[in-house]
Amino acid sequence: MGQGHRELPERPPAERRPDQARASPEQFRPRAVTSSSQQPPPASSCPGAGRRGAQARTGRTLCAMKTLPAFCVVLLVLWSVSEAKFDDFEDEEDIVEYDDNDFAEFEDVTEDPAPESPQRVVTTEDDEDEATVELEGQSENQEGDFEDADAPEGDTENEPYDDEEFEGYEDKPDTTSSKNKDPITIVDVPAHLQNSWESYYLEILMVTGLLAYIMNYIIGKNKNSRLAQAWFNTHRELLESNFTLVGDDGTNKEATSTGKLNQENEHIYNLWCSGRVCCEGMLIQLRFLKRQDLLNVLARMMRPVSDQVQIKVTMNDEDMDTYVFAVGTRKALVRLQKEMQDLSEFCSDKPKSGAKYGLPDSLAILSEMGEVTEGMMDAKMVHFLTHYADKIESVHFSDQFSGPKIMQEEGQPLKLPETKRTLLFTFNVPGLGNTYPKDMEALLPLMNMVIYSIDKARKFRLNREGKQKADKNRARVEENFLKLTHVQRQEAAQSRREEKKRAEKERIMNEEDPEKQRRLEEAALRREQKKLEKKQMKMKQIKVKAM
Amino acid sequence: MSTNSMSDPRRPNKVLRYKPPPSESNPALDDPTPDYMNLLGMIFSMCGLMLKLKWCAWVAVYCSFISFANSRSSEDTKQMMSSFITHNP
Repeated sequence: MGQGHRELPERPPAERRPDQARASPEQFRPRAVTSSSQQPPPASSCPGAGRRGAQARTGRTLCAMKTLPAFCVVLLVLWSVSEAKFDDFEDEEDIVEYDDNDFAEFEDVTEDPAPESPQRVVTTEDDEDEATVELEGQSENQEGDFEDADAPEGDTENEPYDDEEFEGYEDKPDTTSSKNKDPITIVDVPAHLQNSWESYYLEILMVTGLLAYIMNYIIGKNKNSRLAQAWFNTHRELLESNFTLVGDDGTNKEATSTGKLNQENEHIYNLWCSGRVCCEGMLIQLRFLKRQDLLNVLARMMRPVSDQVQIKVTMNDEDMDTYVFAVGTRKALVRLQKEMQDLSEFCSDKPKSGAKYGLPDSLAILSEMGEVTEGMMDAKMVHFLTHYADKIESVHFSDQFSGPKIMQEEGQPLKLPETKRTLLFTFNVPGLGNTYPKDMEALLPLMNMVIYSIDKARKFRLNREGKQKADKNRARVEENFLKLTHVQRQEAAQSRREEKKRAEKERIMNEEDPEKQRRLEEAALRREQKKLEKKQMKMKQIKVKAM
Repeated sequence: MSTNSMSDPRRPNKVLRYKPPPSESNPALDDPTPDYMNLLGMIFSMCGLMLKLKWCAWVAVYCSFISFANSRSSEDTKQMMSSFITHNP
């Protein structure tokens, strides 16, 4: 204890200094002590010296002379000791807080180990990988905290930490880092979190397909349009020389030629011509393939089909005689016979070969009567049919034309469908799908055939026998139809009668005036009586006739 | 050759106006593809929406495209566009 030990715990120096102050003059100033043994310590000696008189005065001056340097020395000593003390304290505040009792516990604890252990924790943290920082760091922090708590309590030595203290630390970072190296594997980010092209392959595929479809739509539409225009340009002259009105869509107030085709669809074009002798009008329909639909294009690769030109000439009633006749490919005729109302009723026989008249084998004939065939197959017609057989699908002349058979769910229709005298032509465009605008010129002779047929139909008249046969046929067909629908017609008539009666009764009931009511009722009664009488009369007449 | 050499076959006084064919029988006879494709498109779009199947939605888009391409021009363009837009989810 004393000045030699600089690391002494802090003790309130104020209390120590007086002791030291007392002790030090005794140790270091023996002269002053021995010279005047009687003299009390200088601090207290001076006032005491003042009381002893003259002797005391000289003694006093002598005392003062001696006490002054002693006092200085004491001060010096005190100051040096305090300096030594202050080296330990960095903060002046800490000096005041500690008591004597506390010092015993904290003999060996200084601030040095405390900063050392956190440093150690930090370094271990730096060694580890980032993925495991949180877990390991937390555990390390906990360990560090434990160490901090343990160190002041467990360690009683004043020396700094041994290597023993840090054995665990050194091992642990090594083991943890080795552990970290094994389980860490770089996992691929899942596809739906990636931002690359591969994750969108379905979308790219579908959009490409859609674009292809749209491209095909535009290309197909344009091709059809070009084909239609080419056809019209080729035929325009012929049509305009035969018809007053070429091209009409029915919307204009006046009947003026529009001079262009009606586009009904992306693949169907119409043209209406009218104003000619012997026919009401002619409707030309260009039925192209669905080039705008990619599915159709692909289907056609499997099964080639041709573009078609359908012409329907509506004849005046007086300009055409009564017959039904058809020429065309065998396949087409079989189909038409099944589908068309008039062909199925009037031409019951199978399609016959036209070889007798010089037609090629590909064409067949459906006719109501032999006479019609004879009349129709004149030289020119045969010439047309033979030369353009590949382009002709079907030619159908009929005065009983009513369109295809209508399939009704509730049995037969009650009335015969309306018939019109028509000439129908169906031509195939050459090329079997791969048509070019210049192919349309090949169809021009066929239009000539159409015009010729119109005139022929007007000229051709059945002789008397033929006419009788034709009339008989028509009567037969009508009768058959009526028989089939007899029951239904009766039911319809019955229901109509009942409705009439109901209406009358309602009228009577609704009449407010009672007189009028009575009168109406009487009128109804009379009518019923009359009907009954008539029926009875009829029955009597029939009986009489039978007899 | 098709016309009489002396007279003109044209008769301006016998001009008949074009009457569009009655629409009663035509829709039944005409190609039913656009209607079928319309229906399929609606069904697939509902399926794709409810069951969250991406391929269903794409098939619905294709169906609506096909229906549009095959449609008859008698239908309004507005109707087509509105049906086209609603079918695409």
